[in-house]
Amino acid sequence: MRIFKKAIVYALLLGGSAVFLVPLLWMMSTGLKPLDQTMSMPPTWLPYREYVQEGSQLREVKAGETVPATATVVRKIAPRWENFSLAIAAMKYFPRYLLNTLILCLLTVTGTVLSSALAAYGFSRVEWCGRNRLFTVALATMMVPFPVVMVPVYCLFRSVGWIGTLKPLWVGSFCAGAFNVFLLRQFFMTIPKDLSEAARIDGCSEFRIFWQIVLPLCRPALMVVGLFQFMATWNDFLGPLIYLTEQKDYTLALGLQFFQSQHGGTEWHYLMAASTLIALPVIILFFFTQKTFIEGISMTGIKG
Amino acid sequence: MTRGERHSLMVGLLFVSPWIVGFVAFTLYPVIASMTYSFCDYDVLTKPVWIGTLNYREMLTDSVFWQSLRNTLYFAAFSIPLGLVMSLSVAVLLNQSVRGRSAFRAIFFLPSLIPVVASSMIWLWILNGNFGLLNHALKSIGIAHPPQWLADPAWTKPSLILMSLWGVGHAMVIYLAALQDVPRSLYESADLDGAGAWSRFRHVTLPMISPVIYFNLIMGIIGSLQVFSQAFIMLGGGGPQRSALFYAVYLYLNAFEYRQMGYACAMAWVLFLIILFLTWVATRSTRKLVYYAAE
Amino acid sequence: MAGTAARHAWRLALRFLVLSNFALGLAGCGRAPDERTADGRVIVHYWEKWTGFESDSMQAVVDDFNASQKCIFVEKLTVSEVDRKLLLATAGGNPPDVAGLWSSDICGFAEKNALEPLDRRLRAAGIGRDHYIPVFWDLCAYRGFMWALPSTPSSLALHWNKKMFRDAGLDPERPPRSLAELEAMSDRLTIVDVVRSNQTVRLRYVDLTDPEKAAHEFRLVQVGHLPQEPGWWMPLWAYWFGGNLTEGERKITALTPENLRTFGWFHSVAEKYGVENLRGFGASFGNFASPQNPFLSGRVAMVLQGVWMYNFIDKYAPQLEWGAAPFPAEDPVAHPNVTIAECDVLVIPRGARHPAEGFEFMRYINSQGPMEKLALGQRKFSPLAVTSDAFLAAHPNPFIRTFIALARSPNARTVPCMSVWTEYNDEMRVAADRVTALQATPAEALGDVQQRIQHNYDRVLHRWDLVKDARIKEWRDDDAR
Repeated sequence: MRIFKKAIVYALLLGGSAVFLVPLLWMMSTGLKPLDQTMSMPPTWLPYREYVQEGSQLREVKAGETVPATATVVRKIAPRWENFSLAIAAMKYFPRYLLNTLILCLLTVTGTVLSSALAAYGFSRVEWCGRNRLFTVALATMMVPFPVVMVPVYCLFRSVGWIGTLKPLWVGSFCAGAFNVFLLRQFFMTIPKDLSEAARIDGCSEFRIFWQIVLPLCRPALMVVGLFQFMATWNDFLGPLIYLTEQKDYTLALGLQFFQSQHGGTEWHYLMAASTLIALPVIILFFFTQKTFIEGISMTGIKG
Repeated sequence: MTRGERHSLMVGLLFVSPWIVGFVAFTLYPVIASMTYSFCDYDVLTKPVWIGTLNYREMLTDSVFWQSLRNTLYFAAFSIPLGLVMSLSVAVLLNQSVRGRSAFRAIFFLPSLIPVVASSMIWLWILNGNFGLLNHALKSIGIAHPPQWLADPAWTKPSLILMSLWGVGHAMVIYLAALQDVPRSLYESADLDGAGAWSRFRHVTLPMISPVIYFNLIMGIIGSLQVFSQAFIMLGGGGPQRSALFYAVYLYLNAFEYRQMGYACAMAWVLFLIILFLTWVATRSTRKLVYYAAE
Repeated sequence: MAGTAARHAWRLALRFLVLSNFALGLAGCGRAPDERTADGRVIVHYWEKWTGFESDSMQAVVDDFNASQKCIFVEKLTVSEVDRKLLLATAGGNPPDVAGLWSSDICGFAEKNALEPLDRRLRAAGIGRDHYIPVFWDLCAYRGFMWALPSTPSSLALHWNKKMFRDAGLDPERPPRSLAELEAMSDRLTIVDVVRSNQTVRLRYVDLTDPEKAAHEFRLVQVGHLPQEPGWWMPLWAYWFGGNLTEGERKITALTPENLRTFGWFHSVAEKYGVENLRGFGASFGNFASPQNPFLSGRVAMVLQGVWMYNFIDKYAPQLEWGAAPFPAEDPVAHPNVTIAECDVLVIPRGARHPAEGFEFMRYINSQGPMEKLALGQRKFSPLAVTSDAFLAAHPNPFIRTFIALARSPNARTVPCMSVWTEYNDEMRVAADRVTALQATPAEALGDVQQRIQHNYDRVLHRWDLVKDARIKEWRDDDAR
């Protein structure tokens, strides 16, 4: 019976993985094809080159060329690895986009971890009046949909002249978003109060308790917050769309739009090759840190 | 207030100060400002002009507004329960002790890591009526006339719902963490009492992770009512006959294409009220079902 | 002791992190706009929408300009969604000096006071309407002021596949001259697969029996013409029926007899071929620029397309035998040579830091040599009144003269100049959708558009009325400077 159950689990997992992976494999496959093969009907998985037999030699058939019906055409599998470098070159500012994205990630991760930890500490390990009520307000802010604040925040940034710079994208992260504060607060609440009490009796300032006792104990949770923020910033599309005007300042996620041009001439193969490249770092990062992730979330006890 | 209490208050506020600054600048002020704008006629370039409740009255008679609301509620009504079931089932599967578990976990989480522009494009391809993988697969198993997906007004929303199921990675990871926190002792005693797998699931697992289900439910309501990116990238104007025009997309169009910022703010406020209402309904109706082990 | 060392390292790392963030933050601070080059030239920031070879052609002209004088250096940036970005940048107070928009954007931007009027500068430079093919000059005018100069124009014509004509027994050199003739030719050109006595037969549409036609049980293999292929100008088909979309400055005329006939045409095509058959046929997303493009791959015999189509034919289907001619109207005698003239334009946004230098660049582009170089590079034609013979001889598009003649035609129509055009266009497209899906009659669909857009237009006009005197005075003052 146990073997049967295991078999079902394996079957479901494999089947599910296949379904989940198909779009990604398609993305990579398209990234390796020349443009005319990206839309072939029926769809092909493996990019190829066609050769026609001429005398004793094989000559490559160019796209759009018609071959006499009597000639034999041979197909050989030929992934176009050069698409990756060509896509980067076509995107023109790729190194700058990479740099911008990395800068933003560094800034937002630092800002988020620091500010959320500070605020979460204040909401959990210091007793002061009105604390719980203010925290409920903080939770309520999670329910405010982005469109409500989108326009006034935009006008706010406009009045201080930050539109067109990277600042709107990272300054906010130094202001402790409610979700991360919530997450870390739950974690901080699992640390026994006696630790803080003992330190207070010894004469430690609250900040020192925070910095030297509580924070080091919560490294997994902090890593989770940092990692989530890294991934969010890496893939952020809407923020750069609204706030960035000069192409030089774009991030990677927004730079992908570069491959769409007027009148529907999208360069699919470059778009997919670039997307694969952009998704790769985050995928690798997740693969190596998933254990921390899951452990980190489990101990924060979202259960409440 | 005693001296000690005052000291605690100051220390507490100091720690929380980053959040307070953010709250005032990025939540409180914008919420009030957008409320004000919603009573004005405002395009980006010129000053707002007060027009009273005209925007709200316009909404009542705007057939496109109602259509976008219907589309969004339809989407939410299907994607929330389906997403819940899907992410929970996948998490349960991934919690079993099988070989290659971490590889499987990574695979199921991968879709959430792809930039949204790329994933939208991939799905545009897959759902293409003539060249797409999906229809090619359907035809090869014998369905002669599969739907045209994004070109057919009856199928655009189901296509987007299908796409949303592909990205259940985040919810799944949270469920995984919660599942691992369920004490083994409970399972063992259930086993001793002779409970089968399904019974164990229903009576031990579900109640123990019910707070997390509640959390994901609320997040799901908030998220699905604001669905924007995929719909905007794939079907910019709302798709055939506006069948996939979602509330947030129509809001964006009003704000940035038609330059009716005041109207967009009014729409945003209505959305906020709807989210609050649905959250309240969800909380009340599940209150009996959620079990907090800490209490 | 190891603990203290570790804590030291931790503290040091943290300090470094904070400092580097501070430094990076400052770096991200105040985008000090580069005002001058190393050799003291004024830098003109120019935002343009083009990518690929179109962008390269403009860059070549920009390089020529930069090399031709020593005071100004134009820096061209490719910006996607340039209209939206320009609006936000102008509102944000840091627009570029010159931007490339579409002619249909001018009205909305001008009305919102987002552009600088050019009349004064044009007068000083001696540039007037007679320098241009009239329709393109008029496209840049609004409420009596000039807001832009043309960069690359286009006109639309019927493109037809000569081989498909020949196979259907039609004279490949003779395109249809009226809409009725086009429909008749289309019936001959359309090929379907139909099941007859348990066998699938491939026939031309004309050879189907009437009950077969009514049953819609056939599958479309290739079609003569469909209004929705490519469907980029659905609302504007009315021009070929002698219709108008607006009247005067305040009235929306969606529900006129001509528009009803236009939508009636959509309706009849949908009824003829069947909604389901049409849905899967034709341009699906993304295959325009590929060998699978319906016209390029021989699935559609006739399309309304613009002067740029040559580029795609050349790239993806170089063996295609094709022709271009004026697209026939419903009544070719009353409305000969109808086309839609559009233009890419150059504007100076309000608040630009170097408007005078920007205008110098625009003036350069609009002189014959550079303009023809640009047009040749993009394989379009020149909007100037005079086109050199060298240009015509060097141009790779064999039908370029047809496009130029169409642009000069008195029936060269344009997109209506109004600030609610985006909404009007969207509504009309939805209406066309509904009619081609047989979900609404033309009267219903157009009635809805009329009601909704007139209402929106009135609202916008109401706002304009409040500010118009002040606005016009401001523009006049600027002009008199």
